[in-house]
Amino acid sequence: MRHPDRQFEPTPDSVRASAAHAVEHAIVVESLSKTYGDLIAVNNVSFKVRKGEVFAFLGPNGAGKTTTVEIIETVRSPTSGRVSVFGMDVTTHKSDIVPRIGVLPQGFNSFDRLTVRETIQYYARLFGRRTSDVEGLIDLVNLKDKRDSLFVTLSGGMKQRLGIAIALVNDPELVFLDEPTTGLDPHARRAVWDVMLGLKRKGKVVFLTTHYMEEAELVADTVAIISKGEIVAIGSPGDLVEHNANYMYLTLKSADSSAIDAVTRLDFKPDADSRGDVKIKVSTTEDVEAILAAIKVTGRTLPGIDVRKPNLEEAFLSLTTDTGPDAHRLRRSAS
Amino acid sequence: MTPRIILANLMVRLRSLSRERSAMFFALAFPVLLVLVFGAIFTKPEHLNFDLPVQDLDHTAASAKFIDSLAADGLFKAIPVPADAGAVQYAKEHALTLVFIIPRGFEAAQVQRLRQGDFSASVAATYVYDPSSTSVTTKLQSLNAFVAAANQQMSGTAPFITMTAQSILEKKYRFIEFFVPGIIAMAIMTSSLSGALNMNAELRQKGILRKLATTPMTRVDWLLSNILYQLILATLSTASILLVSFAVFDVRLDINLWLPLFVVLEVFAFVGFGMVLTPIAKEAESAAGAANAFLFPMMFLSGTFFPVELMPPFLQAFARALPLFYVNQGLRASMIFADALVAAKCAAITAGVAAVVFVAGAMVTRWNREA
Ligand SMILES: Nc1ncnc2c1ncn2[C@@H]1O[C@H](COP(=O)(O)OP(=O)(O)OP(=O)(O)O)[C@@H](O)[C@H]1O
Ligand SMILES: [Mg+2]
Repeated sequence: MRHPDRQFEPTPDSVRASAAHAVEHAIVVESLSKTYGDLIAVNNVSFKVRKGEVFAFLGPNGAGKTTTVEIIETVRSPTSGRVSVFGMDVTTHKSDIVPRIGVLPQGFNSFDRLTVRETIQYYARLFGRRTSDVEGLIDLVNLKDKRDSLFVTLSGGMKQRLGIAIALVNDPELVFLDEPTTGLDPHARRAVWDVMLGLKRKGKVVFLTTHYMEEAELVADTVAIISKGEIVAIGSPGDLVEHNANYMYLTLKSADSSAIDAVTRLDFKPDADSRGDVKIKVSTTEDVEAILAAIKVTGRTLPGIDVRKPNLEEAFLSLTTDTGPDAHRLRRSAS
Repeated sequence: MTPRIILANLMVRLRSLSRERSAMFFALAFPVLLVLVFGAIFTKPEHLNFDLPVQDLDHTAASAKFIDSLAADGLFKAIPVPADAGAVQYAKEHALTLVFIIPRGFEAAQVQRLRQGDFSASVAATYVYDPSSTSVTTKLQSLNAFVAAANQQMSGTAPFITMTAQSILEKKYRFIEFFVPGIIAMAIMTSSLSGALNMNAELRQKGILRKLATTPMTRVDWLLSNILYQLILATLSTASILLVSFAVFDVRLDINLWLPLFVVLEVFAFVGFGMVLTPIAKEAESAAGAANAFLFPMMFLSGTFFPVELMPPFLQAFARALPLFYVNQGLRASMIFADALVAAKCAAITAGVAAVVFVAGAMVTRWNREA
């Protein structure tokens, strides 16, 4: 497959290629940048979102997630680069794109003095969807008991769930959820995951922004990690862990000093915690075998060991920490 | 422009208003209250209808006729004081500031003078009064004038100088009739300006505009919804002010097509000002301050509560630079003075201001998140 983002000449060939992409990709972002004065909020970002996938944006606060998402939603304008949704440029086709997307903005808020049902009806009317299944949407986000309560009287999590219902009011093909589960209790969070997976089953595209690794790992097909306005890694959650957290942690329970000496002699860096457990970062299972053999030689027995593969969180930390994963680990052991 | 969207917005605004008592109060009840309070304070003296307690010690047909003539030109309303009461004591007990006493022998003296031509015949009337009362002076002046006229008549000669009053205005008007158009203009200005200003600032701050930007609503839909809502509010408040004024004070004002014209122009002008001020008042909290800083000088200096002619010349010149001045003047020209020329001039100036400010406001109103 060809990469249209490498081709800038408007040849008939490239036109055909991008038309083909329009079919396959819901979103194409090419060399997108956005600056606010001196601040580069988004720096030359390129990625694509396939139809039918859940795409997750992960990144520290201020990384540029919301800025990027809102440019794709046609709400902000790019400083440079090109963004297309369903093959249409966001800067020139706002009125064609908007009816086909649903948006939960970060920190969703609405009119204080409207009830839950009136709020959904209002947004349905804006989209010209008189026949929208208002009750069904209320059900979907579990707000049945609150359907006649004023917005101002809802809890933070309920407001957020109403925002998700409203994002679906126009039966969109592409749904943007900017931190949909921030502030939700564990039950509500799982319910929202179900909503997202349900959308995916219906063939919709979900563009998720989140700070929760387990959420991205569970629902996303593709995860993009963004840091300081740049995408530092993109791929399936599994790939990201594979490539960016290519190590294991071996933990020796209640290891004594002779065991630690044995490990140090093998050139590993043991890291003892306050409970006397020793954590060692290793690359292969051979490393684990070598360490256990060395301890055996000292004649000590260990009350227990634990070998753990890192998760997306570790991949995330390793990708978004300036000095790399070791610096982070040292900081943690120092405290 | 999508009527469906505009209608949906209108419903949201009206629903929210109906559920927010304080907003309802300031939008509709407050101006009506102002009319009631100021009407009550300032209407009485203009009627010049004094209660005048009169003690008739003569108790004859002539004295009764004299008392009737006191009330005849509508200046006084005679209140009888019992003849057997001590006047001073009675005044104190009943908190009266003035009691007029017709002495015994009134009829006898009158007969002596008119029938028998005895021009030395006279009566000495007395009044008991409270010198600490401020209103008594005015009453006394009127009473003295009345007595002087009666004496003149009794002298039997024709008066040398007579006076005829001619108002420079075609119609006589009372303070309340001056006040009502001012309150109408003020109520519309306040609700249009602070409505536009607070609404936009609040929606932006709360992030609602950000969500609305992801719907098919356009800026034009949004602006038209705001204008229509303010027009509805302005119509409601104008109607309630007029209804109360007619019912309570029986005002005589001409209601004609100039009124809706001025209402529409004023709404456009002050919604425009609200939109222009919105970027300055970025936070919802500072919006209220910005609104007041704009509204108060406008209210007090452009002839809402009193004629600008009462102000020093430099303030009068300043008043002429205020858009509300022309709304006030135009409304009064059409409602009180039936002066189409002045009304047309004021309408033209207001329309010009409205066009410029509304276009400027529409241009600076940020729809997307860039700000
Ligand atoms: N309207 C704006 N004006 C100026 N700077 C802005 C504006 N919006 C965003 N920024 C800046 O751009 C950068 C990226 O912000 P953005 O909101 O995209 O971050 P984010 O990744 O969504 O963060 P979070 O996880 O906290 O939501 C930040 O440094 C922010 O301060
Ligand atoms: Mg964000």
